[in-house]
Amino acid sequence: MSHDVDVVVARSLTKRFRGTAAVDGIDLVVPQNARVGLLGPNGAGKTTTLLMLLGVITPDSGTIDLAGHRLPRHRSAALGKVGFVAGYLPLPENLKVREALTIFAGFYGIRRPKPVIDEAIERFGISHLAEQRSSELSSGQRTLVSIVKSTLHAPRLLVLDEPTASLDPDVAGRVREALLDIHREQGTTLLVTSHNMREVETLCERVVMLGRGRVVADGSPAEIAHVFDTDDLEGAFLEVAARHSAYSEAHIEGNR
Amino acid sequence: MSAVRIRAVMHRHWIVLRRAPHRFFEISFWPVMDVLLWGSLGAYVAKQSPNSHATTPYLLAGIVMFWTFTQAQFSIALGVNEETWTRNILNVLTTPVTEVEYIVGIALFGLLKLALCLLTLTITTIIFFGFNLSAVGWAVIPIAAVLVINGWALALLVVGLVLRFGQSAEILIWGFNYVLLAFSGVFFPVNALPGNMQVVAQWLPTTKAFQALRDVLGGQALPWGLIAEAFVGSIIVFGLTFWCATRLLAIFRRRGLVTRYS
Repeated sequence: MSHDVDVVVARSLTKRFRGTAAVDGIDLVVPQNARVGLLGPNGAGKTTTLLMLLGVITPDSGTIDLAGHRLPRHRSAALGKVGFVAGYLPLPENLKVREALTIFAGFYGIRRPKPVIDEAIERFGISHLAEQRSSELSSGQRTLVSIVKSTLHAPRLLVLDEPTASLDPDVAGRVREALLDIHREQGTTLLVTSHNMREVETLCERVVMLGRGRVVADGSPAEIAHVFDTDDLEGAFLEVAARHSAYSEAHIEGNR
Repeated sequence: MSAVRIRAVMHRHWIVLRRAPHRFFEISFWPVMDVLLWGSLGAYVAKQSPNSHATTPYLLAGIVMFWTFTQAQFSIALGVNEETWTRNILNVLTTPVTEVEYIVGIALFGLLKLALCLLTLTITTIIFFGFNLSAVGWAVIPIAAVLVINGWALALLVVGLVLRFGQSAEILIWGFNYVLLAFSGVFFPVNALPGNMQVVAQWLPTTKAFQALRDVLGGQALPWGLIAEAFVGSIIVFGLTFWCATRLLAIFRRRGLVTRYS
């Protein structure tokens, strides 16, 4: 596979916190226009991996090419082609939605933000929220605004960390639809972490399963289920979680 | 460096200021209170001792220039902290805005706040004490420039320490200023300080700036030699704190400390 069309190329990524390996030699290649889910139980290394891919956390070793730019040297250029959405991350609450979008458009280097913002809020159907303050939004509305914020610059890659966490099923469904629309219309690559296996099966054509900081399986949701000899992705996830938990308990015992 | 991104940073902090009236306390309320306090003290001393007529201008010019230093420091230190307080730092770090662009944006916006602060203080000193800082003349510009550079330098160190050590280090935003207030001879010559403090004080560029201010207020010409020393010292201090901030930021990224704010 040519690196020209790979939006993420991470090689031998490792990260240790206080002697414990959070990420242990991960290789991850995400082609342009792909929809990839990064799964694993709590503590498997998903968020650490994402934050390393975004240049926010420095890996102990390994290399990262993001949107064709080597990190950390070309972090700014790379992030000009990437958007990041996290379900747990609020927008500054003292800003109105339109103000927040204007500021982030500026951060993305958009010279004339107004038409871009007008089009984006129209497309996502959030015109009625434009003059509301971020603190007045519901969780679902905040997530939608975050997605709009992260796609103003038409990124090649959209990184989503738990995008629908704490949303009710109806709103979560609309968020998923919005993400699939972006993918279809703009060819945006999606890299998603989630604990909702149905969501991953809907959103992602490929799943990378992490356990104890390593890639333990990589394939379509059906292939992952097959690898773990389970009926579906959820079964595979539970299997990995059980192994992760057993290892963690043994590790704690060993350290006593 | 992108002008569009720097402008966006300035826009962000303009809205923060507009939406948070308490922020005007840093720009006008506390400085005005300090001016009233030190100006009244100077007036009282002058009344007790008629030979001390110079006291009020010395104290007022000192406190106004001290707030010049403080505003420069606050603009960067509180600007970065705004992103930690509103849990926005991860949002910012995942955009193309570089650390230098961000600092330049808040420093430039800080100059606007400084202008507002100085305007307020000048009006206050004229109305209440009949003292006009313009009496210092053009000499005030190089003196203020030294203080602004040192304010920025101290802010870089404080920001680095806050990112590295978290919320517990935020007190340094205010605390370090008072260390400089004590060591820089803001209101009196350095030889009035206790012996050991004098050794430290004489090396500080801020001390030289305040000494130059007193010389000019005393009717002398601006001591360009002292100002040159102050500028060289300021550049060295800025270089050192920039290096420290870079190292502390590297630790922040290496240890994944951003997760404190997400």
